[in-house]
Amino acid sequence: MSDTENSFSNYGLYDVNDSLEISFPNTEIKIERIGEKAFSYFRKDSEGNVVEKMIPAKSNDIKIEVAPIRPLNHPARRTGYVFLKFDKEIYLSENSAASVFVHCPIEIGIFLVHNSHHDSLDWITCNPLNSRFGFYGPPDTGTLCKYANVSLASDYSDSIPYIEGVIKIVIENTLDSGQTVSKVIFPITDNSLYYENSKAIIDGITVTMKKRAVVSIADVKTTPVSTDWTKSPTWEDTTVSTSMEMRLE
Amino acid sequence: MPIEFLQNLSEMEIVGNLTVLSLLIGGIIMAVGIIIAKVVKVLFYKYYAPTLPKDTAQNLSKLIYFGIIIISLLAFTSSQGIDLSGLIVAGGIFAIVIGFATQSVVSNLISGVFLMLEKPAKQGDTIQIPDMSISGTLLDIGTFSSRVRKFDGTVIRIPNEKFFTSNIRSLTVSTVRRADVMVGISYKDDIENAISAIKKEIELTMPFVLLVPEPEFRVEELGDSSVNIQVLVWHPKDDWSQAQPILLTTVKHALDKAGIEIPFPQRVIWEAKD
Repeated sequence: MSDTENSFSNYGLYDVNDSLEISFPNTEIKIERIGEKAFSYFRKDSEGNVVEKMIPAKSNDIKIEVAPIRPLNHPARRTGYVFLKFDKEIYLSENSAASVFVHCPIEIGIFLVHNSHHDSLDWITCNPLNSRFGFYGPPDTGTLCKYANVSLASDYSDSIPYIEGVIKIVIENTLDSGQTVSKVIFPITDNSLYYENSKAIIDGITVTMKKRAVVSIADVKTTPVSTDWTKSPTWEDTTVSTSMEMRLE
Repeated sequence: MPIEFLQNLSEMEIVGNLTVLSLLIGGIIMAVGIIIAKVVKVLFYKYYAPTLPKDTAQNLSKLIYFGIIIISLLAFTSSQGIDLSGLIVAGGIFAIVIGFATQSVVSNLISGVFLMLEKPAKQGDTIQIPDMSISGTLLDIGTFSSRVRKFDGTVIRIPNEKFFTSNIRSLTVSTVRRADVMVGISYKDDIENAISAIKKEIELTMPFVLLVPEPEFRVEELGDSSVNIQVLVWHPKDDWSQAQPILLTTVKHALDKAGIEIPFPQRVIWEAKD
């Protein structure tokens, strides 16, 4: 199961009988049977980190699913929010709306599959240098986010394999003046991911700029995407998060 | 037979109207009160405490426990027909005497109550008390004293009065914190180059440093031997160990890579000639 365009492995389900090698940019994964109903897991990533695990199994073969996951685990899980800074600002005139496709960083999850249940075995990032934190608001009450400088995408197929998925952002300006949007902050824990071969897409969001009392705010809500791509298993806790409200500057 | 036994007990007077039977009933009331208090405390810890902050749960459980005990005590005294009005007057005088004798104890108790109400820090917070040079994790705020586990693993007990009147710096109340170091570069090196090299190295090697707000660089002083630059970076509050202790090392690596000199203290001596 390797991508025809490159030598790296695709997302999807893999059966492991004796051994399996999966490769991503700067990352190698090896799963080998080391005995009766026992497997070993080895991973070396782009930062030189080595992870080795033993996998006791119920049978002599195991099933692995490799899938894109939300970009929240590297370098450590600290937040459920994502801060996307657009490389180009988007201008919306009064009472107008626009939808844009934007790249959004992803990580890759390795799941152990038995029956229909998925156990998270490991996760990796193929772009650790673009996996950093950012902060929105004052230090005591603000929101810690995973931060990424992102570019606009042409459509869902514009996903950058293993590194960035594509998210559709609908922006509505209900205010009586034009607004420039340069960033969006939202809880990505509400957004599911979907994959096909080596590409990934993420549930969209709708940003509504509106007036609340005397303050102009941008209300961010999740919009599920309708697709026939395979839905990725969830790695993180899907605790209910409140929708995000940003103050307009 | 049991009725006769109880009648006998009710006729056996100890002092005044106090009989063995009434004392027995009082004892049962107190015992039941204590059992109820303990059961309620256990149920509270099992079902409600997990949803509350640790210190609130601890204080509330104490309040419930002693509240039930006091109600039982009142039920006990009223069952014995004891008039408490005389006791209140005597208790008042006694309280004044005890108050003077145990001033510091009462002071700690009152401070403990105020600490619980004001909550300058909560259980599990990392705090610093600069007046006492204490830094560590707040374990609990007790009735008379508070306990802090220092970073060297030892636990220090601080009387509540001292704790209450000290400046308390909470290191974990904000989501993010700032780390800073000072570095000097030689006068012959370009300041912009140095800043650019340090910034690049931080971005490459310190994943816990926030990109927004971005690292800040201030030329703090034109010193005797060097141009002193202050480097300030923000990081998540839990990752202090991934920022402050390694920031200076990162800065040194960056300057070494860029060939920028960190000068030793030096003095230029001009020799006068005839």
